[in-house]
Amino acid sequence: MAIPRAARPRGSARDDRARDLSGYLFVAPFLLFFLLFNVMPILFGAYVAFTEWGILGSPRWVGLRNFTTAVHDEWVATAFVNIGFYALIIVPCVTGLSLLFAVFVNQGWPLSSLARTLFFAPNVVAASVIGLVWVWVLDTQFGLVNRYLGLLGIPAIPWLTSTRWSLVGVSLASVWWDLGLAFVLFLAALQDVPGELYESAAVDGANPLRQFWHMTLPEVRPILSLVVTLQLIATLRIFSQVYVMTNGGPAGSSSSVIHYVYTTAVVRQLMGYSAAVSMLLFVVIVGVTLVQRLVIREQGGWFRSGA
Amino acid sequence: MVSIRRLIVAANRRLKPWNMRLLHVPIWGVGMLVAVLWAAPFVWMLSTSLKPANQVLTRDVEWLPRTVVLQNYVQVFQHPVGRWALNSVIVATTSTALCVLFGAMAGYALARLRFPARDLIFGMFLASLMVPGEVSVIPLLLGMIRIGWASTYQALILPTIANVFSVYIFRQFFLGFPRELEDAALADGAGRWTIFWRIALPLARSPLIAASVIVFAFNWNNFLWPLLVTFDEDMKTMPVGIAAFAPSIGTHTQLEGYAVAMAAASLLSIPSLVLFLALQRYFIQGIRTSGLKG
Repeated sequence: MAIPRAARPRGSARDDRARDLSGYLFVAPFLLFFLLFNVMPILFGAYVAFTEWGILGSPRWVGLRNFTTAVHDEWVATAFVNIGFYALIIVPCVTGLSLLFAVFVNQGWPLSSLARTLFFAPNVVAASVIGLVWVWVLDTQFGLVNRYLGLLGIPAIPWLTSTRWSLVGVSLASVWWDLGLAFVLFLAALQDVPGELYESAAVDGANPLRQFWHMTLPEVRPILSLVVTLQLIATLRIFSQVYVMTNGGPAGSSSSVIHYVYTTAVVRQLMGYSAAVSMLLFVVIVGVTLVQRLVIREQGGWFRSGA
Repeated sequence: MVSIRRLIVAANRRLKPWNMRLLHVPIWGVGMLVAVLWAAPFVWMLSTSLKPANQVLTRDVEWLPRTVVLQNYVQVFQHPVGRWALNSVIVATTSTALCVLFGAMAGYALARLRFPARDLIFGMFLASLMVPGEVSVIPLLLGMIRIGWASTYQALILPTIANVFSVYIFRQFFLGFPRELEDAALADGAGRWTIFWRIALPLARSPLIAASVIVFAFNWNNFLWPLLVTFDEDMKTMPVGIAAFAPSIGTHTQLEGYAVAMAAASLLSIPSLVLFLALQRYFIQGIRTSGLKG
């Protein structure tokens, strides 16, 4: 090779190699499944959304009618408002609590690893478990939560059986379930904060709150925005716990968009309409993601953080 | 930005050694109390599942059963739970094996081989992460019904194989893989395929385990798709079958159902929790490496 190694620009080492078309063979199996089961259904769905289609009949092109119906559908409006409320409750709770728990575990006090296990554990079980357990824990008359609130003199709250509380009840279970993921991400970020930073701050007499505000928070900010993004998108897609705990009720008070998509498709068998509503959610999620990317610039480096 | 390599290091590092001052003891006490409370729903689930039906709805909270019985579990097994578990094992194992294998191959090529449209393909994989899977389930269901695959193993397995998470984690690993090993083998005349199987894959132990654990957990817990595509009681997976014990869906009334429902929930969650405790390190490492789950 004519050019001495040191003279080549950095990072080009990978790209100066000959093309290797066997790469296609390596990628082919995954790509095949990806195209067949990830890409095609989305394109097909975009078509289905413009048709009227029962599960068994044949499709009939109806143009934009599904979308105009959806915009005027009270249940759709409720479902979209509900996922907004879910996001307002769940995202701040998960983010705040998981950061708090991670800071606690990161202190390295006795039994820290036990606490780490306990905080993460709910994240590994299935949605049906979360649903079943929390229906029992939140039971109005005999549930754990109301029993202990009762000891404090608080009257029984109908967590899952009233239109006023059902959304809150489902949110409580969701926070418990979702927190582990955010917690682990924060913990990893905190372990990267050099310990000397804290030691010198302690010598300078900075109190813990100021330490947190001026040192910990800036260190974990990239992960903070990652956690908010992931949790927000996950919450907008909320389904399983809604389905198991309340089935969207009472009177749609805890329904979500995906839950409405599910009932429209399976119970009412309106496949075209159902696909149209899920397309609306898709647009909302892409919109939210793009806005977040713009607001939080460093987010762009997330996937490229190879080295 | 927290880098991937530093994350892996952090995941494997032990927590800091004890350094607690007297002043911290009350805070520590409160924190540990919260941690224990965090696990309380699991304890309550297990405890309720072992109580006889007439001791479930008691006047005071009874954390420990007065008498331990297994009748609730016997009742759960009147449903085809064994079959659901078998379905779950078949579906989750097959899907995870194929996902990890194909993901490793694709991740290797995307990191180490140069071919036209390589970056376009990877970009497409990443972009698909923005599309929630829920958007494609309805058209997918329609397609499956059309070709007569509803309630079949292939319908449960095939759509879950292309989990981009797997490609991502292997690509990250192979980007940092020492080139010298491959160069030596290439000089000896080995083909890419041999190099992948004999050199790259055997050395990729840590992403293999991390990807397997996370993808398996995702497949094992997957809910919406198996719920939609199984019309047949015998083809349900564990999470879908167990969900029918919920008062809002199933036929059990709230009052008679709690003990049985908790037995069902215990049956489903205990294997996950035990597996998690055993493989905790890889679990946490996998999530940290990607910032993704499922």
